[in-house]
Amino acid sequence: MNATPNTDNGRYADDDGALDPRTAAQMIEETAMRARRQFDPASPLAALLGAGVFLFGYGAVWLSIRDQHVYTGPAGWSVALLYGLIAVAAIVGAVVSRRASTGVGGRARRQMRAAAAATLAAGVGAWMVQGALRYLGVSFRIVYGVYGPTVPLIALAAAGAGYAAAREKWPELGLGIAVIIIAAASTFFGPRGAWGLTGVGCAVALVIYAAAVTARLRRPIPASA
Amino acid sequence: MTNDGLDPLIHAPARLRVMVTLAALGEHDTLSFTRLQDMLDLTAGNLITHLRRLEDAGYLRTEKSGNGSASLTSVMLTHRGRAALQAYKATLRDLMSGL
Repeated sequence: MNATPNTDNGRYADDDGALDPRTAAQMIEETAMRARRQFDPASPLAALLGAGVFLFGYGAVWLSIRDQHVYTGPAGWSVALLYGLIAVAAIVGAVVSRRASTGVGGRARRQMRAAAAATLAAGVGAWMVQGALRYLGVSFRIVYGVYGPTVPLIALAAAGAGYAAAREKWPELGLGIAVIIIAAASTFFGPRGAWGLTGVGCAVALVIYAAAVTARLRRPIPASA
Repeated sequence: MTNDGLDPLIHAPARLRVMVTLAALGEHDTLSFTRLQDMLDLTAGNLITHLRRLEDAGYLRTEKSGNGSASLTSVMLTHRGRAALQAYKATLRDLMSGL
């Protein structure tokens, strides 16, 4: 047989019947864990990067508005930093997701496309309402200071949580619910609360999520499972 | 330890890894031949041989889409294949517990 022996897969002989049951059990565990790691689009590194976006991006905006007694909006540099970090996180997230889903077709791909469409619709809908509120004369402070950093995030998290619930992905569901609660609660504290509390709260939630995903990926899969 | 009761079609390293890798996907999910080959680090010829044996037994199904250089071969585990893998694992567990 032609199994390439340049990885640990080469430890196993490839002749029919030459496999010891104990070795077979070990091979099942190792192969299942490797497959799970490669197919799982959740990445602790991407989650930590997301935490950085909230901590430093939202934190920068909070820093630039924290002394404003009359809300005039965030400084240009803080908005640029926020959107720069969001762009980097989006690129990393897309790369990680693409790597996990390459070659995977059928129901999983259809579900991912449907979830992406639902998430996009939720985000676009929330941003359209933001524009409508401004058009209808709602104050700059509410539209960009309170609504902007929270409601689109709630919409995106709700779409993600729904997908996670349908797939029984509990850490993702927990993250979605945590983001919704944090963002919703922070709106009671005005623009400073909306940017500051959402930033810190979501960063903490993402760090916890990264730990949960790491544990999930490292958890052994018994051969009998 | 003997290999009594273990499905000989699955009880070979390459085919066992093919089955376990495909079982990590959900039901009705497919995996491209190239990704499977990359994950298992097997040569194309070797993988084709094993896939053919598993397909002949009804454990997996291969589908071809597209034409010429754009053609894509995908592989999916059938219900029968999933059941066979579960039975294999159960037999393995019994053998191990008898030690």
